[in-house]
Amino acid sequence: MAVNAAQEPITVEGCDTVVALWAQRCAAQGNEIAHREKTLGIWQAYSWQDYFEGARAVGLALAALGFQRGEVAQILSEDRREWLYCDLGIAAMGGIPSGVYTTDSASQLAYLMNDSGARFLFLENDEQLDKFLEAREAIPQLEKVIIFDRDGLAEFSDPQVMFWDDFIALGLEQATAHPDRFMAALKQVQSDDPRMLIYTSGTTGPPKGAVITHRNVLFQMNASRETLRFDRDDELLCFLPLCHVLERLISVELPIFVGCKVNFAESPETVFDNLREVSPHSFTGVPRIWEKIYSRISILRSEAGWLGARAFDWALAAGMKRVAAVQDGSAYSGLDRLNHALADLLVLRNLRDLIGLSRTRRCATGAAPISPELLRWFSAIGVNLCEGFGMTETSGVASVNTVEDNHMGTVGALLPGLQARIAEDGEVQLHGPAIFGGYWNKPEKTAETFTEDGWLRTGDMGRLTNQGRLVITGRLKDIIITAGGKNITPAEIESRLKFSPYVSDAVVIGDRRKYLTCLIMIDQENVERFAQDRQIPFSDFASLTRAPEVVALIGALVKEVNADFAQVEQIKDFRLIDILLTAEDEELTPTMKLKRNQVNQRHAALIDDMY
Amino acid sequence: MNLLELRNVESFYGANMALRGVSIDVTEGEIVTILGANGAGKTTLMKTISGLMDAEKGTIDFNGQRLNGMEPDRIVARGLAHVPEGREVFPYLSVEENLRMGAYARKGGGVAEDIELVYSYFPILKERRAQSAGFLSGGQQQMLAIGRGLMARPKLMLLDEPSLGLSPLLTQEIFAIIKRLNAEQGVTMLLVEQNAHVALNTAHKGYVLEMGRIVMADSCAALKASDDIQEFYLGKQEDTQRGQKRWKRRKTWR
Repeated sequence: MAVNAAQEPITVEGCDTVVALWAQRCAAQGNEIAHREKTLGIWQAYSWQDYFEGARAVGLALAALGFQRGEVAQILSEDRREWLYCDLGIAAMGGIPSGVYTTDSASQLAYLMNDSGARFLFLENDEQLDKFLEAREAIPQLEKVIIFDRDGLAEFSDPQVMFWDDFIALGLEQATAHPDRFMAALKQVQSDDPRMLIYTSGTTGPPKGAVITHRNVLFQMNASRETLRFDRDDELLCFLPLCHVLERLISVELPIFVGCKVNFAESPETVFDNLREVSPHSFTGVPRIWEKIYSRISILRSEAGWLGARAFDWALAAGMKRVAAVQDGSAYSGLDRLNHALADLLVLRNLRDLIGLSRTRRCATGAAPISPELLRWFSAIGVNLCEGFGMTETSGVASVNTVEDNHMGTVGALLPGLQARIAEDGEVQLHGPAIFGGYWNKPEKTAETFTEDGWLRTGDMGRLTNQGRLVITGRLKDIIITAGGKNITPAEIESRLKFSPYVSDAVVIGDRRKYLTCLIMIDQENVERFAQDRQIPFSDFASLTRAPEVVALIGALVKEVNADFAQVEQIKDFRLIDILLTAEDEELTPTMKLKRNQVNQRHAALIDDMY
Repeated sequence: MNLLELRNVESFYGANMALRGVSIDVTEGEIVTILGANGAGKTTLMKTISGLMDAEKGTIDFNGQRLNGMEPDRIVARGLAHVPEGREVFPYLSVEENLRMGAYARKGGGVAEDIELVYSYFPILKERRAQSAGFLSGGQQQMLAIGRGLMARPKLMLLDEPSLGLSPLLTQEIFAIIKRLNAEQGVTMLLVEQNAHVALNTAHKGYVLEMGRIVMADSCAALKASDDIQEFYLGKQEDTQRGQKRWKRRKTWR
């Protein structure tokens, strides 16, 4: 982990670690609201003081159970405030918190526990407990499991398992007995110590744990002043898995930096309702979320009746005209301005209210490519959606567009302090304080990720525009070389297909093949509606994907997209994936995107059928 | 041949959509079952087929004829009998009068022979022929309701929860008779049932209805083998280390 050694210190408000800054924030804003979470359907507020005391109890209880500095502890839970208490409690004791996705299987849990050498595991509830019990044999080093929810476990007891209330009681006892221990441990944490361990879903091979240091995070905090600015009064909504670096940065680190409020979504299924309830001041999502909002509004439009649909089309056109003026510099008269103001007042404002984005100053998207058409569409309805680029290895964000200077189609300017260069093969390479501290216990993997002169290989291809903005064109290892020897970047074609509300995701295939083909995952909701409106009979999902009219619908779409590409880049054949995939399926990422390698393996029969 | 064909049927209670595009096929001679939780739309589906409710959208074809918009009595006359949920016998009429009511919409004779046929399947009804139907036990009322449906000489019978409120033994008995009626009299059956065990053992083919949509369609043998059906309808649980399980797996309907 000596890659980033000997650097100038980074501080925020005089603190050189995240935990020191956090303790300072908790002391300064003690009685203000830090978190909100629903209990039995009602939003309850929790203060910064609760945050501090919760994390302190976690840290001291862990220490009493034998937790050591520099040790990893795993957290397997949906987003909730206890997640954060554990996160900060572990980090303050000099430990390394790491998250496991709730959709991971028992064997994946065992792998992560063993790879990180964790002896302590935090579990959300009985469901995750069963996962652990199944994997227990494979985790010999395990010391203690702590469960947040006791529901359904009243009669359960196990020497290795402890419940949250008992665990916290132990922590409070320790706090009374040793009042200074927690702060003393916290002060010993160094700037270059790991702040967290983030496992990256490797498309090839098993997941790798990326070490993010305190210094990395403080750099992100300082950079956010200019790029992802939050205010102290802001309300945020936390809904992506906290195991993911982006959500961790947005919902844990940056709120510590500015002292704003974080609201936890009840569950992944209720995000859109929670969004309306909270109406956050800024909202960061993955492309899947934005695609969903877009298709919801498309459905609303089709249900709005003749007048409603006309009004919507008029307002959208007015919005689009303004977007074109801003983005392409096309003509924009005073009349257009008046027209747009009217459209905004009568239609667009209500629309934003409806989806819960009426207070939002800035929306951001990252973690996967988004189609520029979608960005323009959101901009047209008055939602400032900015695309950014980053990866776990850049501790979250590497570049991002800002509301004032949003260049759609690019992923924005690099964070100040970060440098980029383009290698000969087109790969984007980065250097600077955001670059992570290496992979956990995998020096050979770490070495592979860096060039000889210490730059991070992102694995993405791209270019820098004349204005210094980064454009990402695709993954280096996704490049398709057809049998004819032509290099093709599938991302561009895929993102065009995905813009259709009927397509949820698509994977272009054709490596070492005669021509390109495509596997398409249809959007269940929208395609069902399409079928229903046209009286196309279907019963279950598989029969929906087989309906000739549905196949024709996607076929027409493929043809339309093909028209914009050169002959060799055209898709000659396609198949629809006939099972409804869920987050538990290995071919989907936790952000509900298809994993290319897994898809190629699991649906080999469908693919071979096309050649 | 498909005796009954539903295509994209939508039904509403006021503004509430109860069926969201249901397409099913019932082949002549088969027993087809519809599984689903409370409020999934099973009874609505039955009522929509027998004309008690109108389909807002979609088509219902029975024996090559369009049923949409047809009055329930005309539908019965075409050979489609509905045995409603909760029996709904006429309590102040005698058993025999109830059976005669079942033949009310029918033209031509043979009523007496048909009553005898019903009695041959349900001997207990013969014993109580003069008694008011209201004094029958639940199981006997269910037999009477099925018998009354048979009196219409139906090609297709809609059975809405015949096991409702019956003892397990009586349920077995009723389903054995349903099976015999199907085999011996050639009556095609569309069966809605909460008791998935007995339904899947009786029927040939099944659909799973959830929130007004068909989420699964297959032969009963294949349905019985599905993990989701086993957990959510047959009550089987994966063995956990703790020996008990409160949480539910996510439904994938595969």
